[in-house]
Amino acid sequence: MAPPPAMPVADAMRPALPDGDSQANRDLLRVMEKPSLGYFGLLGITLLAMHVAGALWALMVYLGLGVAGYTHPIFWGAYIVTFVFWVGIAHAGTLISAILFLFRAKWRNAINRGAEAMTVFAVLTAAQFLGIHVGRMWKSYFILPYPNQRGLWVNFKSPLMWDTFAISTYATISIVFFYIGLVPDLAIARDRATGWRKVLYTALALGWQGTSRQWKSHSRSVLHLSGLATPLVLSVHSVVSWDFAMSIVPGWHATIFAPYFVAGAIFSGFAMVLTVMIPVRRIYGLERYITDYHFENMARFILLTSLIVGYAYAIEYFVAWYSAVEPEQTSFWLRAFGPYWISTWTMIICNAVIPQLLWFKKIRTHIPSLFVISTFVNIGMWFERYVIIISGLSREYDPAVWGVYTPTWVELAIVAGSFGFFATLFLIFLKLFPVIAISEIKELEIHAKAHGAGAGS
Amino acid sequence: MPSLLGVFEAPEPVADAATRLKNRGFSEMEIYSPAAFEVLDDVLDEKPSRVRIYTLIGGLLGVVTGYTLTIWMANDWPIMIGGKPFSSIPIYTVIAFELTILFGGLATLIGLLVVGKLPYGSFGKTDEAYSARFSGEEFGLVVECSDRDVAEVDALLRSHDAKEVSLVGA
Repeated sequence: MAPPPAMPVADAMRPALPDGDSQANRDLLRVMEKPSLGYFGLLGITLLAMHVAGALWALMVYLGLGVAGYTHPIFWGAYIVTFVFWVGIAHAGTLISAILFLFRAKWRNAINRGAEAMTVFAVLTAAQFLGIHVGRMWKSYFILPYPNQRGLWVNFKSPLMWDTFAISTYATISIVFFYIGLVPDLAIARDRATGWRKVLYTALALGWQGTSRQWKSHSRSVLHLSGLATPLVLSVHSVVSWDFAMSIVPGWHATIFAPYFVAGAIFSGFAMVLTVMIPVRRIYGLERYITDYHFENMARFILLTSLIVGYAYAIEYFVAWYSAVEPEQTSFWLRAFGPYWISTWTMIICNAVIPQLLWFKKIRTHIPSLFVISTFVNIGMWFERYVIIISGLSREYDPAVWGVYTPTWVELAIVAGSFGFFATLFLIFLKLFPVIAISEIKELEIHAKAHGAGAGS
Repeated sequence: MPSLLGVFEAPEPVADAATRLKNRGFSEMEIYSPAAFEVLDDVLDEKPSRVRIYTLIGGLLGVVTGYTLTIWMANDWPIMIGGKPFSSIPIYTVIAFELTILFGGLATLIGLLVVGKLPYGSFGKTDEAYSARFSGEEFGLVVECSDRDVAEVDALLRSHDAKEVSLVGA
């Protein structure tokens, strides 16, 4: 693939070595140069969405959770749906960085940094929804293992408690993972930056010089963190699924939930990586680093996990029928033909049907199609959580307590604001840190140069 | 004592040159590399990295903390929940598992900082021999040697494809 044309280098990023510097440095640091007008426009939109949501959240705190559509019998609404959605999105980064690292899949190098950043931002977004959901956000610390006034401790037998530990561990470990991977690249930026950036990168790079001692402990740390993060990825969404599966609500009480949720999380995570990285690659001309081959591999992952998710949808219906438990059967019948049929069929079509197009290589390598399919997957996965949570709660055992929930405009605006929050963080990240792991790209390039193999894959 | 800096374009010659120099008794050496290469990992220090000890201790500490925390808290104010014993090991395994990962991961970070000696140097300063080219795509090998060995080290570096050799600080 032809390298992108050379562009003038902005003052903030004037390279110390105009001629001798490596191409990877020049290409990838260029992304961090002075933002364009379009960038500020987009940032304005995302900031607006975020601030509208913040104001509405304040209104909700003032007026109470009544402004959300919470009403008997449904007290887990759009906020919990969105929480599960963002936790799912957060699964791609660690999967790519940890599991594909352990499998020595070299193609991960082009996308791991962007995906790791998305992981961190998605977990931060998700965590806020727990606070938003409880309404009195300032009481959120009740979930921490801290004795209240009467010396009463938290209940460790509750899956919500496990969730606290799983999510906070996941947030911490993904931040550590993200930062450790970033250190060598921060040194690259430090050596070439001027002004406030120089100070920032000098501080964050920790005096990194790429000595053999530093690299050796760095490689070891990444290896051990990958070993730790691999079971962690699988555990986090399993624990989230147990928030539901450990209850006796029809439609929730299923042993398949943990693998089903993990597959769904990887599915949505990869879709989000595609949705974000396709425009990034195009806008910043990164075709030399993120090739169609990378996107095709991600499409394969999406296809595989789509099959698992589709299988789970089918087996849920089979189990409901085979169990001969009437509430279970009714719940599933009403999913497809009850008040939530639109959500259910949106979920099935977006998640199980549309991704089947990826069987065709022509579509897997056609970037606009990939973008469209990944967007459908994102929509479908939000609806999946909506279907599971809302339709489950709306039709429990006793028809006398059946009810219908519709999200209010306040809830929907706060949900939209979460996308604004996520996008704002990502846009800032684009300008502050290299969006592709430069040193890992160099590892491949130097290796390829020395051994005469093809670069970049 | 003077230091010589050889600049290379690939990791293997650096590893070969450093090994040769080490066998000849030069012990004060430093390698600068733009990326991680396995061939360079064990050249200057053959012992396995001690980061693994940190990970292990962190993980063990995590699993012990997880079970201790849950069992102690459940027995400190005993409330019967769901007819389960106060010390329900299978249930608390979830917490113990998460804390194993959390403590193990944080200990790995500490291990990286301690074993890798980070943060390194004083703020905004780098080694005299270090330059931005080593965060480009070149490799550096710094050898400290006595005045009479300079010519020998210089020749050895050049025979291993060093594209330039210079005196550090000269």
